[in-house]
Amino acid sequence: MHRLRPAHYLMIAPAQLMLAAVIVLPAISLLWLSLERYTYGRAPEFVGLANYLFILGDRAFWRASFNTFVVVNIVVYGELLLGLGLALLVAGWVPFRRLVVSALLAPYAITEVSAVVMWRYMLEPDIGMINYALMAIGLDQIDYGGDPVTALGVAAAMAIWMHTPFTFLILYAALLTVPVELVEAAKVDGAGAWQVFRHVKFRLIVPAILIALLFRYITAMRLFAEIWLLTEGGPARMTEVLAVYLYRQAFKYHEFGVAAATGFAMLVLSLAIAMPYLVQMYRRMVRDAV
Amino acid sequence: MRSSLAAQAVRALLAALAVVWSMFPILLVVLSSFKEGHRIFETPPSFVFSPTLEHYVRLWEKWPDFFSNMANSLIVTIGATLLTVATATLGGYVHARYRSRLLTGTAFMMIVVRMLPPIVVTLPLFPAVNWLRIHDTHLLLVVIYATFFVSLATWIMKAFIERIPRELEEAAFVDGAGLRQILLRVILPLSANGVFAASVFVLVYSWNEYFFALIFTTRSAKTAPLVISEILSTVEGVDWGLLFAAATLQLLPIVVFVVAAQRYVVAGLAAGSVKG
Repeated sequence: MHRLRPAHYLMIAPAQLMLAAVIVLPAISLLWLSLERYTYGRAPEFVGLANYLFILGDRAFWRASFNTFVVVNIVVYGELLLGLGLALLVAGWVPFRRLVVSALLAPYAITEVSAVVMWRYMLEPDIGMINYALMAIGLDQIDYGGDPVTALGVAAAMAIWMHTPFTFLILYAALLTVPVELVEAAKVDGAGAWQVFRHVKFRLIVPAILIALLFRYITAMRLFAEIWLLTEGGPARMTEVLAVYLYRQAFKYHEFGVAAATGFAMLVLSLAIAMPYLVQMYRRMVRDAV
Repeated sequence: MRSSLAAQAVRALLAALAVVWSMFPILLVVLSSFKEGHRIFETPPSFVFSPTLEHYVRLWEKWPDFFSNMANSLIVTIGATLLTVATATLGGYVHARYRSRLLTGTAFMMIVVRMLPPIVVTLPLFPAVNWLRIHDTHLLLVVIYATFFVSLATWIMKAFIERIPRELEEAAFVDGAGLRQILLRVILPLSANGVFAASVFVLVYSWNEYFFALIFTTRSAKTAPLVISEILSTVEGVDWGLLFAAATLQLLPIVVFVVAAQRYVVAGLAAGSVKG
């Protein structure tokens, strides 16, 4: 039973058809769409690279790219530090470990929309509890509506809050596979806690760290609701990220060609970040296929 | 491995801080949804109060549609989960048991696809969806959500099915079982944990998804997160109590589910990403 029979082709067909229809073909046609002037009430018209030239000359696009770059890096490395710290904490001794893990997992179940609800409530001017507390100790309020840097910081905090469970779980699972004998042997050799971490645990979980980083880089770039429901990209388009820029061009300005050019840039960027992982996976799969 | 009492105290304190960071915003929304309206912004916040259902009643009166939107979410979530699990089990079985150049290609395709930003497919899909007249339908959301999780789910199913000894299948085959019976009687029962692990991710995603719902629904297929965002964005000022009531109804079931399904989340992550 080692040769593929027609029944087996039928079995892989549904998933492959869905992927082709919903993701692969649309992603390819995106390239075509990005070369057209395409808006409501007009026949699409081939314009070559005009859409790309437009976004390259658009200050809002550069602003969105810069914001995305900064926020994604803050989010990804913030989560890594927090997730790693939590994983080290929980993998050692903590009271009620199962309950602690459950509590740390909970934000994964929260929709971005509700996360925005929670944080906007705590950050209401004057009366939200965080701003009230800041005022009470004589500090400035957090004004996400007026100050772009603050708004991006709040969005980053929300993203970290929501996605740390992912990084935490991957690193926690990896730490649990570190052999106790190795740790004990290092201790017998006189290694302190930091040295055990640096030379034993860290080295063994590097692959898991890289996987967590890669997946979060790819997914953090999709940041949308946190910004859209917080500031809609304002004031004056100062807090837009790439997904918000794309959404506005397509569904507010109806410039689908410009949006497609933005989307194609995001797609190429995602694949470029994923390239080392994809190459490695491809090699391993070809090797295993023999 | 016993550490000193001081070290234990520090660890317990850090764990408590981590739990507060994680849970405080969630508990805040849930508890505040039962607070009287004038106490929602009392400072300092108090967690001692006599609970009221006034906000839930007002939600029922002012946004009666919210409950049909919750039903939409439920339909779409169940549909997407079933479609994902069915297609992933079929594909996962073939990928677990057979090797060929074609399968290497399809498997690699599934990895590449996971790297693409979902937002970009909305642009080409938008005109196609209107042309097919499936805008604002449950079916559209079901297919989109399932597609974005079918590769992870297939990967998880492949990992779980690989652990089932081939001899069991061969024995069933000798007893005269066909492929369909082997799948239903041998593979499916023995990979039940894989089915749960594969379900958790698409289920949580479909219940919470916002962006595709924003683009592709207007009225009849609108899901709960979209309506919560509308309650948040009303021009006459946010009605926080009502908003908390809606958010609580949306988040409680899924938080309970995730906590209950904790070990499947871990198993699925391990099978789906780390081992690749």
